[in-house]
Amino acid sequence: MIRYAMVMDTRRCIGCHSCTAACKIHNELPIDIVYNPVTTVGPVGTFPNLTLSFLPLLCMHCDNPPCVDACPTTASVRREDGIVHVVDSKCVGCLSCIMACPYGARHHNHESGTVRKCDFCKDRVEQGKLPHCVATCHQKARIFGDLNDPESEVSKLVKNNRTVQLLGELNTNPSVFYIY
Amino acid sequence: MSNKHQNWGWMLAVDFFFAGMGGGMMAIAAVVELFGGGTRMSLLGNLLGPACMGIGCGFLVLELGKPFRAWRVFMNPKAILTVGAWMMSIAMVSGFVYAVMGIPLDLIFWRNWAILGKVLACINLVTGLTVATYPGVLLGRQKGRPFWVGPGIMVLFMLSSLVTGCALHYLSALLMPVLGTLLAPVLTSSSALYFLSGVVNPAPAAAIWHALPGAIAALLLLQLLLWSGYLWIKQSGATAAEAASAQRWISGDLSLIFKGFMVLGTIAPLVLLLLDIPAAQVAGAVLVLLGGVTMRVLTVRSGEDRTFLPGEQKYHLRLPTGSEEFLRKNWL
Repeated sequence: MIRYAMVMDTRRCIGCHSCTAACKIHNELPIDIVYNPVTTVGPVGTFPNLTLSFLPLLCMHCDNPPCVDACPTTASVRREDGIVHVVDSKCVGCLSCIMACPYGARHHNHESGTVRKCDFCKDRVEQGKLPHCVATCHQKARIFGDLNDPESEVSKLVKNNRTVQLLGELNTNPSVFYIY
Repeated sequence: MSNKHQNWGWMLAVDFFFAGMGGGMMAIAAVVELFGGGTRMSLLGNLLGPACMGIGCGFLVLELGKPFRAWRVFMNPKAILTVGAWMMSIAMVSGFVYAVMGIPLDLIFWRNWAILGKVLACINLVTGLTVATYPGVLLGRQKGRPFWVGPGIMVLFMLSSLVTGCALHYLSALLMPVLGTLLAPVLTSSSALYFLSGVVNPAPAAAIWHALPGAIAALLLLQLLLWSGYLWIKQSGATAAEAASAQRWISGDLSLIFKGFMVLGTIAPLVLLLLDIPAAQVAGAVLVLLGGVTMRVLTVRSGEDRTFLPGEQKYHLRLPTGSEEFLRKNWL
């Protein structure tokens, strides 16, 4: 069974925010909503030994998503391929999922009254294309694929590199892995 | 990942207040029905329990982004909000059917069915306590909200629901004779006035009513201790985020309101209720209600505090707010 996942190679990310812009433009997001920000961590250390890194964030498409359990209307769904998304016609805008998500990956759209989030560009993925943020990343810092396919690039990267899942201690089992 | 609209508003806090208080009132009425020696709480108090829950439901619906789809909240049995919605619905129906048993009208044909009263009391006890507690369960399960996470908040909400429920029962019993006098011109049955006085079996009813201020004071003392302990544990607790969120209550932007809740909503009514002066006890009960709603508004507002990811807060500060001149001209 397919489980879509994303690997973030933070060694390659240069903090250009191309992924943020691509996502925002293609998903036609309102001004106050950003699905995948790139945060700056640092600089840390003492001159001249300073380090600065960038952390691309987005919905973690958790294997055990607290937002789906919290949704009283079943508008938040985890598909069999691991993509977590919101069925807009079922959402009542109760914000339960926003409060339940420990990653701050969900957003209340005050124009529609419902909740929006990254869905790994599921419509593109179904056509065999890559999510916009992955297709745009010129540094190849974002890698997307099927984690359950041992021949896929994401599977090999997770297997052969030192990776972490954010807030893994919360038992959410995110589908986004960070190489550092 | 902006901070806009990322937290519940004051209407949900008011829902928690009314629903919790209604649940507390129904649970107390059920205990008196089952173990009160053949008496009941006042008719007004029994009616106010489900009515408060209904008001709470109204605020919950208004808080939704899509109020006309509110019926959908009954759909996911795994969600705490769904459990709460079902429990409130059952409690309101059961509580109302039980409460009207105190009205001496032929239309209420079940008013003398003693067994039904006991069965409804059992249902009200379970559903009332669940409604009184579920907001705490809902908040305590939010893994990313450091001030709420854990079982402690559940106990605080249940306690507050019981204390506010007791306070409104006390005020209702006081108001019943006044209500009876006001309604006297429109009531044709003399027995109606008797029932409106809130006394079914006078001796135990009076004993319960006289015991209420002491019970409220005891619960307030427990509330004082538990809130102090909760904040102390959070401040010295497991994570830096928990400590920071508690600090907002102790010396930050929420501290003034929290101190107001502790002094005017807990300590002052505790003292007033222990005085054997009816006016002071009434004032104490009113302060309890104001304290209950203040506590919930504060607690819900604490949901702003999230366990932020590295660099996330700095990123938020750089985001446009939408009020920038060039954005208003070119984007919005």
